[in-house]
Amino acid sequence: MYKLLLILRYLRRKLAPMFAVLAVTLCTAMLIIVISVMGGFLQMMRDAAQKLTGEVMVGADLSGFPYYQELIDELQRLPQVHAATALVRSYGLVNLNNRVLTVEVHGVDAAGLDAVTGYGGTLHWTSRDLLELLEAQLPPAEELTPGEKERVEARRRFYEQLDLRRLGMTFTPPPEWSDRPDTPGIVLGIEVSPWSVRDSQGQYSALNSSLGMQVTMTVLPLTRRGTFLEPAVRRMAVVNEFKSGLYDIDAHRVYVSFELLQKMLRMDAAEQVDPETGKPTGKVDPARATEVLVRGVPGVPLEELRRQVSSVTQQFAGDHLDCPPLWVQTWLERHAMLLGAVEREKLLLTFLFAIISVVAVVMIAVIFYMIVLEKTRDIGVLRALGASRFGIESIFLGYGLAIGVIGAGLGVGIAAVVVSHINEIQDFLTEHYHFTMWDPKIYYFDRIPTRFSPMEVSVIAAAAVLSGLLGSLLPAYLAGRLNPVEALRYE
Amino acid sequence: MAPSAPQPVLLTATDLWKSFQMGDQKVQVLRGVNLRVLRGQWLAILGASGSGKSTLLHLLGGLDTPSAGTIRFDSQELAALRGGRLDRYRNRHIGFVFQFYHLLPELNVLENVLISTMIGRPAWGWPAARSEARRQATALLDRLGLSHRLHHKPAKLSGGERQRVAIARALINQPDVLLADEPTGNLDEGTGQQILEVIRDFHRSGQTVVMVTHDRAIASAADARLTLHAGQLESSLEDSSAKPQDASNR
Repeated sequence: MYKLLLILRYLRRKLAPMFAVLAVTLCTAMLIIVISVMGGFLQMMRDAAQKLTGEVMVGADLSGFPYYQELIDELQRLPQVHAATALVRSYGLVNLNNRVLTVEVHGVDAAGLDAVTGYGGTLHWTSRDLLELLEAQLPPAEELTPGEKERVEARRRFYEQLDLRRLGMTFTPPPEWSDRPDTPGIVLGIEVSPWSVRDSQGQYSALNSSLGMQVTMTVLPLTRRGTFLEPAVRRMAVVNEFKSGLYDIDAHRVYVSFELLQKMLRMDAAEQVDPETGKPTGKVDPARATEVLVRGVPGVPLEELRRQVSSVTQQFAGDHLDCPPLWVQTWLERHAMLLGAVEREKLLLTFLFAIISVVAVVMIAVIFYMIVLEKTRDIGVLRALGASRFGIESIFLGYGLAIGVIGAGLGVGIAAVVVSHINEIQDFLTEHYHFTMWDPKIYYFDRIPTRFSPMEVSVIAAAAVLSGLLGSLLPAYLAGRLNPVEALRYE
Repeated sequence: MAPSAPQPVLLTATDLWKSFQMGDQKVQVLRGVNLRVLRGQWLAILGASGSGKSTLLHLLGGLDTPSAGTIRFDSQELAALRGGRLDRYRNRHIGFVFQFYHLLPELNVLENVLISTMIGRPAWGWPAARSEARRQATALLDRLGLSHRLHHKPAKLSGGERQRVAIARALINQPDVLLADEPTGNLDEGTGQQILEVIRDFHRSGQTVVMVTHDRAIASAADARLTLHAGQLESSLEDSSAKPQDASNR
């Protein structure tokens, strides 16, 4: 009981242990904040990556595979599958205002893709953005001539009727945005355009958007055997832009309609031609797709879904021996490089900060050693009163444990407050000191993402408690080994 | 007055030697000390500074071990006590009073006294014993005239009050022997006399006291006096075991 009494009194009285508590608190808070922000960043990327691709993909190389609709039908019969859709993927060039850009072109059935990935939700612009831009750019009404007013009104009506989400889903531009009636629509990643810039809040302006721009897209068709054919070129109008949340995707991907890309890449169904005579053979080459994306029913584990999809795919490949080899991938495998890099960064940062946190252990050891020196005579008195060596050791170990517990508790508390208000803190620093920790112009998110994981926080808190105990271990041992007579004579 | 019955021997030191290593030199502090302390006796050990008085007290209290010789408490040889048993010996049978009080500055008067009792009990046994221990400590402090100081920290007390708290702390477990190391050495003469009165008061109640001092006037308050000189007690073993009622005649 005397140990508890002395621990409580030492905690209340001494300034030095408060520094030890502070060291544990700061190290705990620092580690939790770092791990929460990195975890939030990773979670954001994982969410974005999962949204982009569905959960499981079946695919072949860029020359594609036939009978994909059969595969989709088979997959959709699985009770574990919520939706599946075909995709044609290729690479191409986009000429945007004489700027030629390399892009990954996805030909998609927008409704099908939306069911699998939530594609519709990534379409960035709405007519409200254009209306707001129009209002912002207008001079005062009294300065407008009647003709200008009429034109502005016409533009306003046009914008009001414009359903940019529908345009992005149908790839059909309004007549005002196309120079030919059959001009197809294209949806660009929001970072594809070189003129796309983020402001200090990380927001895009419709002023710099590519909406309504005419672009020329060039793709290189492949035969089933992988032979290059003449490039296919098509002029298109930008009907919307999408923002997935992954910079690499948003900077290099464009969406067009499935049928259009299939046709441009000559992957649509076509009658075979005899290469020698050049005459139709009467046989039809089936249409091809490069991938089928699958979304599972909520609650179905990813591995279970993958197992079922693999099984159906094997059956499908067995039924169609002319089908090229097919692979099955989960979204985690597809984005393993990207997510793995962030995961490694998170681990590395955690490791580095954990190394820094060793300082706390050393600091506790030094502070405790000083306390032992200061309390040498008291230790002698306690031994004279009958306290055992272990009793003396227990006082300092308990003291270290208490410092660890208090430091960890305060650290978790501070970290919880900082993590939950990190954006408000950033806003305050930006507003009052013009200091921005995470500049949305540089980082690809406008709000700092955080993820407060109870498991990670528990591990860090336990490590903090342990650090208090570890720091006090040697001083406690030395205190217990003190010769009581020498301790009583200590000046 | 009829002669009282012989008192049993409580502490016996036989041919006690103690040396310390100071650098490459060996300093012989005690050179064959023989001593018997009777139950109920107040024995004063006189000696100049550095004569080994405190060392002898530490050896008797089980705080240190002799280089040679034996110490017996009742029939128990201290050298045979190890670890926890030696700690219990100090806690239950010995009460230490030091020249510089050595109160724990973080604790108030009552806690400084109670800590001896706390040390002797396991944490789980304390809640049941707490109120009785507090009652005893309060009564003891009341007897020592400190009832108004129970919740004061040592820093707020005078030297005499601190030494009275130290005495209360030493006596709370009702030890067999009170070992007092220069208990008045840090006090003015008047306060020193008050402390002697306190010790005398407890001695009259049957408390065995071994007190070391360099001051003959202080030592004269004891029943028996021995002088430690050059590591040896100058009086004979028989002298040192004189009956308490004879001590005043020496």
